[in-house]
Amino acid sequence: MSKQKSKKEYDFKAAKELYKEYLEIGEEKKKITLPEGTVKIDDLNRREAIKRIHDLADDLIEKILTTGKPSIELPSRSSSNIIWDEKNDLLLLGQQIMQKQFHSLTSVVDITRLIRVLEMVYSLLTEDIHTSKRDIFYNDVKLFGKQEASDKCIEDVATMLYTTRNSTHIVANPRGGCVGRLRIRDKNDIIDLETLGSGTWQISPYLDQIEILESDAEFILVIEKNAVMMRLTEDRFWRKHPCILLTAQGVGNVATRMFLKRLNKELNLPTFTLVDSDPYGHYIHSVYLRGSKRLSYETPFLATPNIKLLGVLTKDLDEYNIPKLARLPMKPLDIKRAKDLLKEDFVQKNKKWEKDIKMALKDKVKAEIQALSTHGFKFITDEYLPEKLSTGDWI
Amino acid sequence: MRIFHKKDGGIVQLVDKNNMLEWPIELPLIFVEYIRSNKLDTYGDSKVKKEIEEYLEEITKDIAIPRFISVLKGDNYEEIILALTRIEELSKKKSKIDMIKPIEKYLEDLLNNNNKKISLLANNISKNFISAERKKQLDKKRKVMKEKEELFLVGKISPEEYANARKEYLNLKD
Repeated sequence: MSKQKSKKEYDFKAAKELYKEYLEIGEEKKKITLPEGTVKIDDLNRREAIKRIHDLADDLIEKILTTGKPSIELPSRSSSNIIWDEKNDLLLLGQQIMQKQFHSLTSVVDITRLIRVLEMVYSLLTEDIHTSKRDIFYNDVKLFGKQEASDKCIEDVATMLYTTRNSTHIVANPRGGCVGRLRIRDKNDIIDLETLGSGTWQISPYLDQIEILESDAEFILVIEKNAVMMRLTEDRFWRKHPCILLTAQGVGNVATRMFLKRLNKELNLPTFTLVDSDPYGHYIHSVYLRGSKRLSYETPFLATPNIKLLGVLTKDLDEYNIPKLARLPMKPLDIKRAKDLLKEDFVQKNKKWEKDIKMALKDKVKAEIQALSTHGFKFITDEYLPEKLSTGDWI
Repeated sequence: MRIFHKKDGGIVQLVDKNNMLEWPIELPLIFVEYIRSNKLDTYGDSKVKKEIEEYLEEITKDIAIPRFISVLKGDNYEEIILALTRIEELSKKKSKIDMIKPIEKYLEDLLNNNNKKISLLANNISKNFISAERKKQLDKKRKVMKEKEELFLVGKISPEEYANARKEYLNLKD
């Protein structure tokens, strides 16, 4: 049962107040000023990306003509060059520059692969088509040898053009789903995300073709588990409570995170995550919040710094009377993950979050979102979520 | 996004009209129609409904129609055919034909275009405009006729005056 142990009308007051707050300082919040000493990455359209490749080629030709020793410079993506921007709560790339020489024997394979990927990117852009990382690898298996090599080149090409990977038209496989009070444009088609039957709209990795057209949602909810998404979809949660629901079925992939970022930025709506009550769930929330280290150069386009962790919090297990049988003991890997999270600056800065992880470590218990179903299949949609969004019980 | 506030604290957000400058030519009108027929009645707030209706008219007047006109005045046959096909669809609907009225004068040059498809579409649209105008006139006359009938019955106008009005109405009806 819920804390009140009785059914009541929820007013979503806390979520509405948060929206009002966003609206008042909305424009300020949306503008991210990167700190000095970090690399600025741009999300480019096709024409702009082609121009950057032309500029890069011009620069190389000039080096060949003037020095005879061409090279390519790109920002280093090593961990020593990853900076946490405390003000914006983002992981960013510093300004350490790596140089790849054309004339050195040690880098000849590297540079050949890099230029081959650049050539493929140029073709994709001029033909206005998209492809996957896997396709790039299969396009020249002999040269790359294994996919790790082509994947690395893909990220190098994006960083040397100072742009996102999506801008190179090499996109991730679709994995996420979205449903709710939202209308979008995908090329020439208008898609209504409320009229998809029992399914969801598969978040397209071709985000350059997607545009947000209309929404009367009042908040966005990101759900870790597809099973929970199905529950909320079947209950038509968004009809009663105007919202947009998203899931990436686990850690947010690039397309899902980028789409969420767009929704959050353009619609300026309060955004929440609903994850398992375990360190991995907290990690998933952290990836939405401030990006992953591997893709730190794209963080401003992937991270949603104002996202809130709605649940399931460790304290919720007691507050919502989750039976002991529905709780699971933490495994050594969970404990390690929790300890690692506690070492992170962004957790230490957030006292509520730190307290919740410490509580999990003390009790050494975890639970899945579905543990809430011990109070009934509709408990999550009828009581848990409405109550949390009304009282503002989030991190 | 353009934000509209409901009385109950809810919101509706619609894409900014300036974004539509980059859209395919027919899409702004499709969007306007889509919101009008599928969403407007779902917002459940008369104030917001009125404001959005005004915004949709703004999109039609400032973006959708001028973009159609720029294509019709150009020389890209493919684009002209696409635009005319869309206009023809709209011209068949009584509720939509006034929305595309501003493009009527640009059709004249296309009526005898060398491209058969263009001239056929332009002629169809032109006929639809004429037919819609005739229906409008007829509606007006019908209203006048009803008034004259009432006046004639109470003896306030002469039989000749009534007969002339009736004749005009029947001519138009034929």
